[in-house]
Amino acid sequence: MKTHVVTISDMKFSDKSQDVIVTYSLGSCLGVTAYDPKMCIGGMIHCLLPSSDSARDRARVNPFMFVNTGVPMMVRKLMSRGAVKSRLVFRAGGGANMRNDGLFNTGARNFAALEKLLVRNNVKLTACDVGGMIPRTMFLYLDTGRVVIRSLGKEKEL
Amino acid sequence: MSRREEILSRISEVVAIPSCAHKAIVLLNDPDAAIEELARIIEHDPGLTVNLLKIVNASFFGDNRPMTTAREAIARLGTAQVLQFVVSTGVAPSFVQKIEGYDLSPSMHLQHSVTVAMAARQLGSVLGLAPPEYTFTAGLVSGIGKILLGAYVQVVVEPIMSLAFKEGLSFDQAEDRVLGINHAELGGMLLEKWGLPKDISDVVRYHLRPDEYVGENLVLDLVHIGNVLAKMIGAGLGADGLNYVPSTRVAGRLGLTPAILDTVSANVVEELGEAWDLFLECAEDSCPT
Repeated sequence: MKTHVVTISDMKFSDKSQDVIVTYSLGSCLGVTAYDPKMCIGGMIHCLLPSSDSARDRARVNPFMFVNTGVPMMVRKLMSRGAVKSRLVFRAGGGANMRNDGLFNTGARNFAALEKLLVRNNVKLTACDVGGMIPRTMFLYLDTGRVVIRSLGKEKEL
Repeated sequence: MSRREEILSRISEVVAIPSCAHKAIVLLNDPDAAIEELARIIEHDPGLTVNLLKIVNASFFGDNRPMTTAREAIARLGTAQVLQFVVSTGVAPSFVQKIEGYDLSPSMHLQHSVTVAMAARQLGSVLGLAPPEYTFTAGLVSGIGKILLGAYVQVVVEPIMSLAFKEGLSFDQAEDRVLGINHAELGGMLLEKWGLPKDISDVVRYHLRPDEYVGENLVLDLVHIGNVLAKMIGAGLGADGLNYVPSTRVAGRLGLTPAILDTVSANVVEELGEAWDLFLECAEDSCPT
């Protein structure tokens, strides 16, 4: 068994059923998983920001920093390893905000960018645990595609 | 004795801030090690930086203006004394492994502190403000009160969390209600007591509530937003999570927009990648016991 750690603005995938993919300490960042149950292949991305529109050079160097470039890139990587797009199951976690933050709302903007992307591609989000002010750790178990969120010492399955 | 008085009395016993100097020990044992690399470790470690500034500002008091950055202090002390300093403060056996009360491992607290410092400096740079050098120091040590509460007073975080949740309070407001003091105020008081320049202790004391500071203070504004950004980025988050209130007054004063913050966040994440080796060295399993 191997544990793949996804850092900020990073993506990891695996097709080994004994593997686990994890990302720690999601604040406003958004963690997104995609999993093909038939092929037992899946990936996880940890996006810092919603859109690369004003940072195209940066997105060329690291597309995984942004929701709008990173999630499609993750899907393409999974498809190149045999996943079928229509079978992919998407889940999301993170996207927290500061208390009374009417100014920046990075967490909400990150999740809105994902929703926009999924609607445009006619894809439904199977489950999510987003918002609030809590830190989250997200796990993807490759054997079943199970996604677990750990926060403040408690775990729940998405 | 009130809880606040009890905490303040314990704080008077604190002689050094815990730190994780594993990499510094390795360098000490290497005769070819460069002082430059040792300086890099010290200036990214809140415990070592504060202990060093305490020593130099006490030793050279009245000689010159107070020293506000680790690099400046290292240049003044010279190599041999810096080495002695690291040995005497960085590796003392009583130093804690984990900030139990606040659910923070040493590497997480280090990551968060460095991220606040980098974010404050990057914000100043993106805004074209050329803030003073000690902006980094102030950001780095802004969370020092948490170490004190967690390591020396063994504060338990659950009652604070549950009060915050039940009454819709920010984490620092809940600390005030449960402990009679919050970690920012406590950190500022300790640094002031240790003779660190008021420029730094004021920033630490007010960094969670800059609106309570009388007057305008650019470094305070930058560190306040730097702390917000570090929490949103998620580097080294503790149980308190993102439960703090960003000041709209500071945001207005600095002319912040989501686009500016996004640029600063991206810059910080790229810069953090270069400091990653420091965090790995401070992982729990490699820390001295």
